[in-house]
Amino acid sequence: MCDACGCQPLTHDHDHGHEHSHAHDDSVVVDINRSLFEANDAMARSNRVHFDEQRLVVLNLISSPGSGKTTLLEHTIDRIGGEIKIGVIEGDIETERDAERIRAKGVPAIQLTTGGACHLDASMIHRGYHQLQNEPGGDAIDLLVIENVGNLVCPATFDLGEHQRVVLVSVPEGPDKPAKYPKAFTSSQLFLITKTDLLPYFDFEVAEARKEALSLNPSLQVMDFSATTGEGFDVWLDYLRELVREKKAA
Amino acid sequence: MHEMSLVQGLLQQLHDLAGQHNTSRVLKVTMVIGPLSGVVVDSFKFGFDILTKQDALVKDAELEIVIPEVGYRCSNCQNLQKTAGERPRQCTACGDTLLIAEEGNDLILQQVEME
Repeated sequence: MCDACGCQPLTHDHDHGHEHSHAHDDSVVVDINRSLFEANDAMARSNRVHFDEQRLVVLNLISSPGSGKTTLLEHTIDRIGGEIKIGVIEGDIETERDAERIRAKGVPAIQLTTGGACHLDASMIHRGYHQLQNEPGGDAIDLLVIENVGNLVCPATFDLGEHQRVVLVSVPEGPDKPAKYPKAFTSSQLFLITKTDLLPYFDFEVAEARKEALSLNPSLQVMDFSATTGEGFDVWLDYLRELVREKKAA
Repeated sequence: MHEMSLVQGLLQQLHDLAGQHNTSRVLKVTMVIGPLSGVVVDSFKFGFDILTKQDALVKDAELEIVIPEVGYRCSNCQNLQKTAGERPRQCTACGDTLLIAEEGNDLILQQVEME
């Protein structure tokens, strides 16, 4: 039971009628067949139920370090912070820097520092969300954006209870990321190609990156834009508006 | 290296199981690690070696890892191709390139031998 809100991680009863067989005299062999992701997945389901009750849309941003997650957030807040109340949970190995950048925009933000861990998990998000609720304005948000630790590998394995998982690749990183790091793309709903203002200077074919990603996950939605110049950015903003509108109407 | 935290979760489950079955020593742990689970088998083994050393319950436990094949289903003709994990370029039956992975995402504690 959580002290902050009284919410209880969802659990389901397990059948403990294991098959027993005896390998040697005093040893016992137990068939378990249980996923190691089970504890995290149960916590993530509980988070999602809690977010739904609050009519809150939750996004989980995943990318390599430096693809522009924090810059995307800054520009998003500048453009629609007046109409959609945004809150942010920042995940990094060390430092408060990203949360400070977001707070400077007048938006409630908390920083989770993992102290070396390469990903956020569902229980960190549970604690982080309650911490965010105690920040000024943190209890009245429509959209919670979780900026995961910069890493295209490990975060893809952990459900946080988000509604949409968003994977970013910036133009300087190259179009081969979907093929090299498939799990981030097969587990996401939206793929953002960022920093398109740099296309003239890099060997990056948007169509190729799009095709690679869609061959892994045909239902993936793909957008490409530059947050700094604003080119193509309205599609992203409309996507956020629609998510928030749907959640309020649900 | 999220494998380290996954091994910590595994050790917690082993302690719970030892309590339930009134045993004091884990002899063997069998894990199924799907090639698309995002778990690096060597890192998992490394984490297991490091973390079991200081834990009396599991310090002599043997780790067996089973790696299943991944089936890729053609979205056009439904033909199923099995591989060790890598994505086939195209369907061997009809040549379509839209293949959907079936399973391979699992990380399962399959069996534990204790005494």
